[in-house]
Amino acid sequence: MSNVTIGISEIYVTNKPNEELITYSLGSCIGVTIYDPVAKIGGMIHYMLPLSKVSPEKAKTKPGMFADTGIPTMLKSLFGMGAIKDRLIVKAAGGAQLMDQNNVFNIGERNFLIFRKLMWKNNILIKAADVGGSISRTLRLEMNTGRVTIKTGQKVKEL
Amino acid sequence: MTIKDEILAKVSTFPTLPMMVGKLLDVLDEKDADFRIIAEVIKYDPALTANILKAANSSYVGLSKQVSSLTEASIRLGTRWIFKIALSSLINSALRRPAPGYDLSAEELWKHSIATALMSEILCDLLNIKDKGMIFTSALLHDMGKIILGDFISDSFDNILKLAENEQIPFEEAERRVVGIDHAELGGLIADKWEFPKNIVDSITYHHNPDKAPSPTPAIDIVHISDALSLMGGWGIGREGLHYHPSEGSIKRLSITNSILETATSQLLDAIDEIETQFKEENNPKVLVRG
Repeated sequence: MSNVTIGISEIYVTNKPNEELITYSLGSCIGVTIYDPVAKIGGMIHYMLPLSKVSPEKAKTKPGMFADTGIPTMLKSLFGMGAIKDRLIVKAAGGAQLMDQNNVFNIGERNFLIFRKLMWKNNILIKAADVGGSISRTLRLEMNTGRVTIKTGQKVKEL
Repeated sequence: MTIKDEILAKVSTFPTLPMMVGKLLDVLDEKDADFRIIAEVIKYDPALTANILKAANSSYVGLSKQVSSLTEASIRLGTRWIFKIALSSLINSALRRPAPGYDLSAEELWKHSIATALMSEILCDLLNIKDKGMIFTSALLHDMGKIILGDFISDSFDNILKLAENEQIPFEEAERRVVGIDHAELGGLIADKWEFPKNIVDSITYHHNPDKAPSPTPAIDIVHISDALSLMGGWGIGREGLHYHPSEGSIKRLSITNSILETATSQLLDAIDEIETQFKEENNPKVLVRG
């Protein structure tokens, strides 16, 4: 098994069955795994922000920073490799929040909201999501099996 | 001796910062810090000088002329940039330590400090706030209390976190209830022991509770917001996650909006990449984008 770490604002797609994709320290950011179990093609993104309109220049160099540029870029790469839309298994984790009462800091919540809209527009179901709360998460995708796990502190659970 | 007394005893044995940090801070308070003065301060540190020259030379790949003096480096890189590198390297060598209770490696705690400092600079620019250097320094040091407290709360960490979750109180308040002091106050005591200026001490002490400061200042508010944003981005997010409370007061005083926070966040990654390049052992030549 070879580990591939997905950094902040990175997108990675692969068809290598021996790879395990990992992204660490998801706070208000969101990690998304997309997997085609038949073709065994999959990928992961770790985006920070919902909309690229706050910095269109950054979106050009780092589309994976934003949901609205990163998710379409990721889907396009997956389709380019041969993944089929109807087979995609989509899972998401992160989007945590500070103990906020005034909503100015609601980047985590907005991150998930925009993601849901994007999936809905593209007619793709979100199979599972572990989002919100005030916890930090580490997300993994095993390419061989499509198994997705989330780790918080010492606790690991399957998504 | 209570656990709080034991913790406080550690403040006096906490390492001192290199003298040069104090000198840099003095220079910094002067308007338009003249590079010659900064060069006077750093030229006696060979490792630091070497790093700065390396940075200057790697930033203009393709130019045949190699930079060989600090003054030339300052022309290529800019005074503020050199100040940032100098201060970060000095504090790095003194304070790159783990905070085991929080599950933070030295690397992660350091990254959080750098991310918070760079975020403070981004916010100062977006909000037109002066004293960027002083605020940068405060942000860089804001969590050093965790280095001491991390040694004491390994066993009680789960209790502190449970208390914070069950009673929906911020993590630092739970720290105070369980061990009698929190990491922010502790950091302030260290800065005070170092005889740092009061505005830096206050920015560290009140970084989770700007509204409790005797007189709230933009510096305290900026450090508070920068800390929150760098945690949200996942830089040095410990086992306590995001169990902190953003201050309504800071948001109002700085007229912070959602769009400002998102714009600032979008600028942080490149700023961190740029600084991190300087701390890598092997400095592969690449074009640096200067802010």
